[in-house]
Order: sequence, then structure tokens, then C-alpha cells
Amino acid sequence: MTDIRRSLLRRDALSAAKEVLYHLDIHFSNQLQNTAAPVVDNGSVELVEEFVFNLPKDRSMQRKKMTSLQELQLLEITCSYFQEQGKDSLRQIIFAALFSPQSNMADDRRMAMLGKLVSMAVAVCRVPVLECAASWLQRSPASHCMRLAKVLVDDYCNSAPSPACALRDIVTVSPRFCCQFITAVTAVYDLSSDDLIPSSDLLEMVVTWVHDNPRLTLLTFLSAPMPSSRPPGALESTPLLGLVRWCVKSPLAYKRHRKPLLAPCPGAALALGPAEGGQAPGSLYSMLHLSVLQILVSLRADLTEHHLYGRVGVLPLEHVAKLVGELAVLVDQLNPGDAAAESELSLNRLAQALQVAMAAGALLCSREDLRCLCSRLPYNSLLQLVKSGPFLQPPHPEFQQESYPPIHVSTARS
Amino acid sequence: MSAQGDCEFLVKRARELVTDDPWAAKAWLITARTLYPADFNIQYEMYTIERNAERTASAGRLLYDMFVNFPEQPAVWREITVITAALRSDCQDKHAQFLRGLFETLPGRVQCEMLLKATEQCFNTLEKAEMLLLLLRRFPESVVQHGVSLGETLLDAETLEDLDSPVNCFRKLFVCDVLPLIINAPDMRLPVSLLYKYMHKAAEFYIGYVTRGPTADSPLQGTQEGVGLKSPGGLRGSQRYVIDGLTEKSSLVTEPWERLLDILAIVGARCEWQGDKGSRSYVEILQRMKELCRYLPSLEGETLSCCRSQVVTCTTLVLFHSAYLYVSAVQPALFQAHSSPAAGPWILLEDLSSVFSEAQPERSSSKHAHKKRKLGDGREKTMWEGRVVGRHILVSKAEMPAWADMLDSFRTARESWDLLHSHEALETEFNRICASWKTESWLWLRIFLTDMIIYQGQYRKALSSLHQLASFQLPPPGQMGSSGGLEHQRALIQLASCHYALGEHRLACEKVLEVVGGLVPQTTSPSKTSEDVPRTRTKLGKGTDLRLLPCTSKAIMPFCLQLMLACFKLRAFTETRDDLALGHVIVLLQHDWPQGEALFLKAVDKICQQGSFQYENFFNYVTNIDMLEEFAYLRTTEGGKVQLELLPNQGMLIKSPSPALGLVSQEFNNLLLPGVQTTDRHHTVTRGITKGVKEDFRLAMERQVSRCGENLLTVLHRFCINEKIILVQSLP
Repeated sequence: MTDIRRSLLRRDALSAAKEVLYHLDIHFSNQLQNTAAPVVDNGSVELVEEFVFNLPKDRSMQRKKMTSLQELQLLEITCSYFQEQGKDSLRQIIFAALFSPQSNMADDRRMAMLGKLVSMAVAVCRVPVLECAASWLQRSPASHCMRLAKVLVDDYCNSAPSPACALRDIVTVSPRFCCQFITAVTAVYDLSSDDLIPSSDLLEMVVTWVHDNPRLTLLTFLSAPMPSSRPPGALESTPLLGLVRWCVKSPLAYKRHRKPLLAPCPGAALALGPAEGGQAPGSLYSMLHLSVLQILVSLRADLTEHHLYGRVGVLPLEHVAKLVGELAVLVDQLNPGDAAAESELSLNRLAQALQVAMAAGALLCSREDLRCLCSRLPYNSLLQLVKSGPFLQPPHPEFQQESYPPIHVSTARS
Repeated sequence: MSAQGDCEFLVKRARELVTDDPWAAKAWLITARTLYPADFNIQYEMYTIERNAERTASAGRLLYDMFVNFPEQPAVWREITVITAALRSDCQDKHAQFLRGLFETLPGRVQCEMLLKATEQCFNTLEKAEMLLLLLRRFPESVVQHGVSLGETLLDAETLEDLDSPVNCFRKLFVCDVLPLIINAPDMRLPVSLLYKYMHKAAEFYIGYVTRGPTADSPLQGTQEGVGLKSPGGLRGSQRYVIDGLTEKSSLVTEPWERLLDILAIVGARCEWQGDKGSRSYVEILQRMKELCRYLPSLEGETLSCCRSQVVTCTTLVLFHSAYLYVSAVQPALFQAHSSPAAGPWILLEDLSSVFSEAQPERSSSKHAHKKRKLGDGREKTMWEGRVVGRHILVSKAEMPAWADMLDSFRTARESWDLLHSHEALETEFNRICASWKTESWLWLRIFLTDMIIYQGQYRKALSSLHQLASFQLPPPGQMGSSGGLEHQRALIQLASCHYALGEHRLACEKVLEVVGGLVPQTTSPSKTSEDVPRTRTKLGKGTDLRLLPCTSKAIMPFCLQLMLACFKLRAFTETRDDLALGHVIVLLQHDWPQGEALFLKAVDKICQQGSFQYENFFNYVTNIDMLEEFAYLRTTEGGKVQLELLPNQGMLIKSPSPALGLVSQEFNNLLLPGVQTTDRHHTVTRGITKGVKEDFRLAMERQVSRCGENLLTVLHRFCINEKIILVQSLP
């Protein structure tokens, strides 16, 4: 290892970085021949940090920094490397070696480069990079994921005068990445402050994705449904709770922000189509809320199929409790006389989401828990109904809810 | 609140939102359904939203849910009824298409169940059948189970509803829709007898369909042109045709004869017919049946009866097909389906083009059977049984461009008929089919049969056939002269032609005069117009027997005159003197002059030989300048000083319908016979006692010359009408 380091030290920054990539490729290829799941060793990480992220190991050796052009070249080389490396497992481990957060000084540079790399991959549609990024988003701590999401949102949804199509369109090539991206982005934009209200471009993109392909939101969850398979502190397994948060909090958050939410326009249903330009956020949230409910409904069959019904809370109870708490704060912040309609809408959506999630087995709690959970919220007739639960009826003997024939399973669209 | 109250509350909220925020409305309903999954109204509301927005996939899925979970709900049945109605209808509007698309999204098993259940709920046989048909079409495997029973239901319905026409909605459905499914289903086992039954049902329908008359409600053209025999072109104004109980579109059967051939081919294959190679034309089939017939005597038992049924079924179809083609050429107005533009009818008659020849007319019209016509009736009859073959039929090629096809069809039809009557067993089986189809009530077939019998020279039989034909068309009172009248005239002319062929000249003349009475002579064109039609045809060669004439005054009038000439020619030139007949011949010879010049000269010779000639109608009806000249010459010394008594009688003058002629005759009368009574006058004139008779004759001649420009056909028409009684009486 020291030999490599010595030889690298003699090179200029760019060629050293390139050489590290080359070295990693050979190193992990060998590893993969011996073991199915190699781990990223410290030596590799150190090489990466020293020669790719330019953090000298000893202060005395001041190395020349890469120029912006060299940096761009390095990005291009890296991007091409992932594009051309045909072996997925190798790509994954090298991506991890490069970008797995190490909780050290290098993380800032690491994240900066990752942001640029993924942004570039989006721009030129480099699917392997996006797929690696999707895995990265699954494994990395939520805060890092949120940082990456923020970079992309800044690059694609806020800056450009017109919404860039590049990000919108990657849903067709890397839905797995989009799933994680939505989870991250809803974690960032939690409507807790006016700054954290999603921009209309971002909102519209997410709503379009979810509306057009509701199953998108379950990709990560279905690939690894058990909570134990996720490292602690990682993002949630689905963006569903984040989306519920958007729908539930948006009426009050917009009200607080004095941002016009605009009621859904009559006849909008007729114009309902993908990427309907310039729709009022109110309509978008309404569409999104319906999509979320439909996803929750369809989730029941998935849970049953994977023998997870009643075992996995897709909407974890503590997160739901947090959301209810946030909503209660929001309600308190606004003058009840002023925001009665918004409050009503928020509570209706919350009640609907809770009820459907419970019925689908996505939220594991009893009516009793629910009553306790929602005790701080103001009265709402639907919420009341949901809290107390349906009147018990004799079970319908022939009832075959959810036993659709296969051709219908995939279509849970409006 | 109760569960019921909760549900009502939830549905109400959704309804309030549906126009402004349909997504929210659906969110409410989704929530509601998780709370009360067994509540029908919630799901129905969900379905209604999707249906109203015409979202096919989601509406289909919700309908499926309701169909599975709430099969007893009337609302579900209302929906299914609406959808199945859209499936049956040919409506192309957006909603109907949506409903059909909705049905398509359902899983096949559910479609099948839905149709079957919907069928069960149908009480109307037709609707039920249409519904079941949807099922059979979609799910071919269900044909084995339901096909035959559906077919039988439809055939039973015909009987139950007491429908006398085979062209009815049930039969249409059976023949055009159900039958092809049944006979094309590979797994279907069908007994041969059933196949024959179905084949015959199909044939009866298709023939009935194709030969259907113009619909009663099609607009009648008010006025007809000044043609004596009315052209029925006006009857064919509209081609719209609707079978009672069906829509206009489903009443339409395209290429009926081809469809029939298709069914024949499949039935043939299923019955394992002899030598059946699936030939595709009726003519080919006839050839094959002829060949097969040759082997019939060598067959026995089941093979024989199989073969016989095959021959009869196939040949019967060929017969009706070609007879239809023939009749549609000869009488296009009979059929609604036929679309030749305003084509009038044609009549098959004896060819009289050689009537102007000096030879005896028997040569042309009676060479086959007339030699013994004076024998007793019994003997005569046996003579008529003898068929005539290989006769020629003349037809104006210019007026009927498709003449060759028409004659081919006529021949094919005759050959089919002959084949069906070549063995007693075949005839019996054929007659059985005819009896069940009530073919004796088919006017068009009777027309063909009559023509066929005429062609065969069985004139006695033809006469009875013509009388039968007359019984078809009892013209409703007040409708005389329209198509019924036309048919009547047609039959009369053919009767005359047959009587003439039988040597019954008096009857022939009687009928012809009756026809002429119904004609309006062509006044618009000069007298020579009559040439147009016959000229081209008389050149068509000799030794021909029959002629197809268009049924118009223009063509019929010359025929009538020729026929009378032929009758009188026989009497006029016998050894015994018959001035009246000779006079009639001279009058008639004017027509188509100078065709009859030779014959006229022969008449003049006879008059010269007699030395005298008496024909009181001469000045009424002879306007031909050549003839007048000849007669003027006869009176002179050079001409032989023939005694001519040609002055008209008074009775005739009084009868004269034409004021112009009346005036002329009146002058004659005043000039020649002031105050003399009819009986004496005759005497006086012939004796030449009255002075000035010679002068009067000269004057009469001069006046007659001035009449030369008169329309000859008008004159001859008047002759036929005014002299009807004399004309008939002067024949034996």
C-alpha cells in the first residue's frame, strides 16, 4: 500500500486520482473473486481521501490542489468509469469506497464531489451512477442523503428559469433512484418553516412521478422490506410518510407562509394528465394525497404476499406521532378563526391517511393508540370517526376485497 | 351515528367535492371503503365517478369489484344492462365506445359470467339471443354448450311468434350470426339431418332476403311517363330495408348468395359430400351435380340417399340462384335489392320477325308441334308434352347489355330444373323443399317457370302457368295500371303469344287486342319510329324462335300488330276468298312498311285474281301512299278494272273516336250517301248505280292521300280498338 502511495505522491493531482480509481478497480476485482461481499478497507478509504479528495495525510506534504478544470475532468473520468464498468457489484463497492461517509474531515469534500457527480449523471443520463447513488441513499445516514437531495433540487428545481427536464425524465431510467430521492427530498422539505416548503417545480415533478407510477414509491421497501436490513439513521424505507406530511401539513403551512394555495379548479379532473404544466399547488397536493391513499391500499396485497402483514409498520408509529405533533403545533400557530378551512382540510387528510394506512396494515396501532395520539388535535368529524372506528358489522360472507385478478394488480392509478 | 349514518355521511362528503376536487372526493371514498368495505353505496359512488369521467380501467376494476361482491344489487344490474346493450348496438358515440371499452377491461371469466347472467335476466327472446351471441362470439369454447340450443330457440321463436316470412329477425340472427359459429366450431358434433335442416333454413332466408320485394313504405313516384305499360322504375326509390325488430345496420346482409355458398361449402365438408372440392361458383356446382347424377343409379342404401340429398340441396340452390338472376334481368322491379337504373320488364314471346315473308307463318312459329293441331284435344295434349330444346332467344343487345349473362342464367336455371326432375326420387325431395318454403307463392319463381315452360314449347302448360301468374297480382282496386296492371299486361301478351303458338288464333287475337287497348300509341314521334325496335332485330337471322322484348308500348305495339298479321295472313291467303281477312292484312302491312311490300303485292295479286275486293274499312285505316296508289291503279283499265268496294260504313263513322277523322268521314258520308240508310248504301255503292260514285271514290282517294302524314301507329291503334269485335269474329 505504501508503495502505491509513494508512487501516487509523485504524480500530479488528476493523474493520482485516476490512478486511485484504477487501483481500486483491480483491488476490488480481486476481492470479489474471493468473497461475495467484500468490505471497504481503511487503506482504500485513506487512498481515496488523500488522492481523490486531496486531504494530505501529513500536513508537511503540501500537495497542489486540483484546478476546477481538473476537477471536472476527474468527474468525467469517474462518471465514465461507472458507465463502462459492466459489473454491478464492483461498481457498488467502488462507489461505496469513494462516497460512503466516514464521519471525518473528508466528508465535506466527499459530499461535494458526490453531489457534482450525481448531478452530472442526471444531466447526461448515466444510469449506473444513478443506480449506485440509489444504493448509497439506502445505506447512508439520512442527513447525508438530505444533503445530496438538496444539491439536486438546487441544481434542477430552483435555479433554472424553466424546470429542467433531465431530472424529471430519469424516472423512466432509474425509478429506484427516484424513489430514494423522493424520500430524501420529503425529509428535507418538511414544511417546518417557510424555507422548507417545496418549490412548485419540485412539487409538480414529484406529484407527476407518483401519480404516473405509484408503485415507484414502494421500490426500495419491496427490495428490502425488513427494517433490520437498513442501517440505523438511514432514510425511511418509503417516501410515504414524507408525502403524507406534505399533504397533511401543506394547507396550514401555505397559510402560515401566506402563499396562495389556490383551491383545485373545477374541471381539473378532465385535464388530469402527466406533467400538467402550471397546476395550482392545491390541486397537486390533492392529487398527491389520493395517490398516497391508493398506494397504501395496494400495499396491503404486497404485505400479505410477503407475509409481512401486521409485522412491519411501513409508516412507523413514532414518525406518525411526530407528524401529528407537528400538525398540532401548526394548528396552534394559526388563528383558528382564520384558518378553519385549511385546518379542516389538513385534519381530513390526516384522518384519511391514518385510516387507510391502518386498514392496509401500513400503520400498526390500535384505535386506542390512535385516540391517544390525536388527543391534542382539534375536533374533526372524520377524525372522530376514524378514532372510534367503524361500527361493527357482521362480516360479508361472500366478500372478496382485494382479491383482484393479476391483470389488475399493477394498476392502482386514478 | 350508525354504520348506515357513517356511510351516508362519507358518500355525501364525496359528492360535495366531486366537481371541484375529484381527487379529494375519491380520497374520501377510499377512506370510506376501508371503514365500511361491505357497503355497496360507497363502491357504487366510486364507480359512478370513474364512469362519469369515462376512465375505462378504473371504472372496469370497480365494476368488477361490485360484480363479485354485490352480485345481487339492482344498480349493478342496471349497469350491466347498459353495457351489454352498448355491446349489442352499433352505436358509435363516445359513451357507447367507452362502455364497450369498459367491458373489455374485465377479465374474460367475468365477461363470460356477466353475459350469461345478463342473458338469464332477459325475457325478450331477441335480446336474449343477441346477448348469448355476444358470449358465443367472445368465447368460442361456449359454442359447443350453447350454440345449438340458441339456434333452436331462435327457430322456435319464429314459430311461436307466427312469422310467415323467413326474412325475420330471428332467422336473420340464426342464419347470419349463430349458424356460422355452430358449423365452424371444430369441437361441435352435428348430426347430418340437423346440418341439412340448418342448410335449408339458411337457403330459405337468403333467397327470401335477396328476392324481397320493394318495401311498402318506399316512396312511390307519383307520375309516370306517357308510356302505355307503366315503367315500375318509380317503385325503387329507396334502398333502405329494415327487418322488423332489428336496426337498419343489422338488417343488412351483404353478398347473400356468397354467404349461402360459404355455408354450403362448410355443410358439404361436414356431411362429407361426394366429390366436394369446395368449388366456389353455382355453375360449377351444377356441373358437379350432373356428374354425380350419372352415378346415382349405381348407388344404393345410405350412400344413395346421401347422394340424393346432396344433389337436391345443391341443385336447388343453383336453380334458385340462376332463376333469380334471370328474373332480376327480366323483371328488375320485383326486387328491392336489385339496382339496375329504372329498368323495365322484359317479356319472352314468340319471334314473329319473319311474318312479312311470303311463306306460311307456320314455318317459324309452329314447326315443332303445330302439324297436328287439328287433332282432338287428347291427342293434342300428348303432342305438347314433347319438349323443345335448343331454341334461340333473340334480344336487343343494345337495350340489354347483360344479355349474355341473362341467357346463361336462364339456361343454368333450366338445366338445374331438368336435373331435379330427372329422377323421381330427386323430384320428390325437391318438391318437399318447395312445399316447406311455399315456393308456389313466389311470384318471381312463377315468372321464371312460365318462361321456362314457354321455352320448352309446352304452351298448354304455359297457359295455365300464366293464369296462375295472373292470380298473384290481383291489382288492388284503383291501382290498375300501376305495377299490378303492368304484370297483368305482361301475362296477357304472353297468353296471346302462347295461344298463337298453339294455333289458337282467335284467342291470341283476343288477348292481343286487350293488350292494345291498354297501350297508348306513341304520338310524340313520327310514324316511322316503330322501325327503331324491330329493324335491328329482324336482321338477327332466321330460324329463331323466341324473343325477349322490353315491356314498353314502343316494343309491344309492333309485336301485337305482327301477331295479328300472322293470324290473318293465314286466312287471307287460303284458297277460299276472305276479303275481310285480306283487308285486315293490308291494313296491318302498313306497319313497318316497306317490310311487308312483298306480301302486299301478293295480296294485290289475289285481288286481281278475284276481280273484286270489298273492305269497307279501307279508307278509315289505309293511309299508305304506295297502297293507295296501287288501289287507285287497280280501278283503272290498265290495272284490270277491279271492282273495289272500299267505302266506310256509317256505324264505323259514328264510333270514330277522333273528331278529325269523324269530320273527314262525315264529309265522305255527306258526299257519297246523303240520307241513305246503312243497309241500302252498301248495296247502292257496290252496284255503282248512284251517279258520281266514281267521282266520290276519286275524291275519297284524294282526301286519303292528304292523310298520309297522320301518325300510323295512332291509326293502327284506332283500328285495333274500333274493329276489335270484327277482328276477333273474323278468325275461326
